[in-house]
Amino acid sequence: MLRNRWKAPWKATLIAAAPFVLVLPAIFAQTANPANTAAVADLTGVWMIDQFHPALFPKGTTPPFTPWGEAQFKKADTLVNDPNLVCLPHGIPRLMFVPLPMEIFQVPDMVLIYEEAGNQLRQIHMNRGHRNDLDPTYNGDSVGKWDGATLVVDTIGFNDVTWLDHVGLPHTDALHVVERIHRADHNTLVDDFTIEDSKAYTKPWTTSQTYHLKPGWEIAEYVCDNNKYVYHEK
Amino acid sequence: MFPFRGLELENSSFPGEIAVNAKRFMFVFALAAGALLLSGAAFAHHSTAEYDMATVTPIKGTVTKFEWSNPHAYIYIEAKDDKGTAVEWTGELASLGMLARVNWKRDTVKPGDAITMYGNRAKDGRTVMRLEKIAFANGQELSAQVR
Repeated sequence: MLRNRWKAPWKATLIAAAPFVLVLPAIFAQTANPANTAAVADLTGVWMIDQFHPALFPKGTTPPFTPWGEAQFKKADTLVNDPNLVCLPHGIPRLMFVPLPMEIFQVPDMVLIYEEAGNQLRQIHMNRGHRNDLDPTYNGDSVGKWDGATLVVDTIGFNDVTWLDHVGLPHTDALHVVERIHRADHNTLVDDFTIEDSKAYTKPWTTSQTYHLKPGWEIAEYVCDNNKYVYHEK
Repeated sequence: MFPFRGLELENSSFPGEIAVNAKRFMFVFALAAGALLLSGAAFAHHSTAEYDMATVTPIKGTVTKFEWSNPHAYIYIEAKDDKGTAVEWTGELASLGMLARVNWKRDTVKPGDAITMYGNRAKDGRTVMRLEKIAFANGQELSAQVR
């Protein structure tokens, strides 16, 4: 009797828990995303921006700056302190707005973007989340997953050296960039960005860049080799 | 201070803002021309902020040096000013990869060639321009822009 009383709730609990026990692995499997790593869209090819957008905030629009962000922006001078003048990497998102082509490769567990600008290689890891305790870098740590035919890229782990655009939008090491890259049609690629940096901006904001497929183009060598004497000769 | 800000707007097209009179049309046309220039690819390592992007000036002279280098190639020519005095002009081009895509080669111009450089002059008065195209002595033209 006593034994039965003890046994009954145990059985009931087991029965009640069964669906969760069976379903949870499936949920975890999805978040750990083996299902999302398989490429469902082909983004490969050489792509070139359709139009050069030096400023991510067009005239008449104001970035949602924090006071710190606004102060930094006022200090930016494209002829004096643009990090690119000394050939430093552009960082993300600026790299994706440079008027030079990029080639996208899809390999197991990674999407690679080979940028002609400085011959930089962006690695988008499809088989892992962000590592803990990232060492800050120019282009950050990018991890990706597929949302239908859209490649969703999440990037953090930035240093605070780069500009977000070609006219000096600032950021800090709190920068978080989410990109949704998809083919609008066979010849057109679109990258929709959501930019978040609570130290520099009061709220997240969005921007976008369109690219055209360039059949027959090859990425060329691009070494920033003559600035040291040509640009500074003046 | 941020000359791109104005041009950025011109890059967007708002169908509702189509010109309604000739004067405005010319203004929009000029802006569109500016946007076209901007959409070129010569500014990978530095901005075009230092150039007068609204005006294209021709400068005729003799090539003294052609520097085939990244991130920009440069043509140096000896031209004559109004008084006939020799003046060196520098023409800044895009990166080698972009130039190759519009048929430029490392020997496209050679010292001694007579050419005319068409470009946007430096705002600060230096005899430097961002090249739009060049014309050879026989009148043949070569664009420096990848459209």
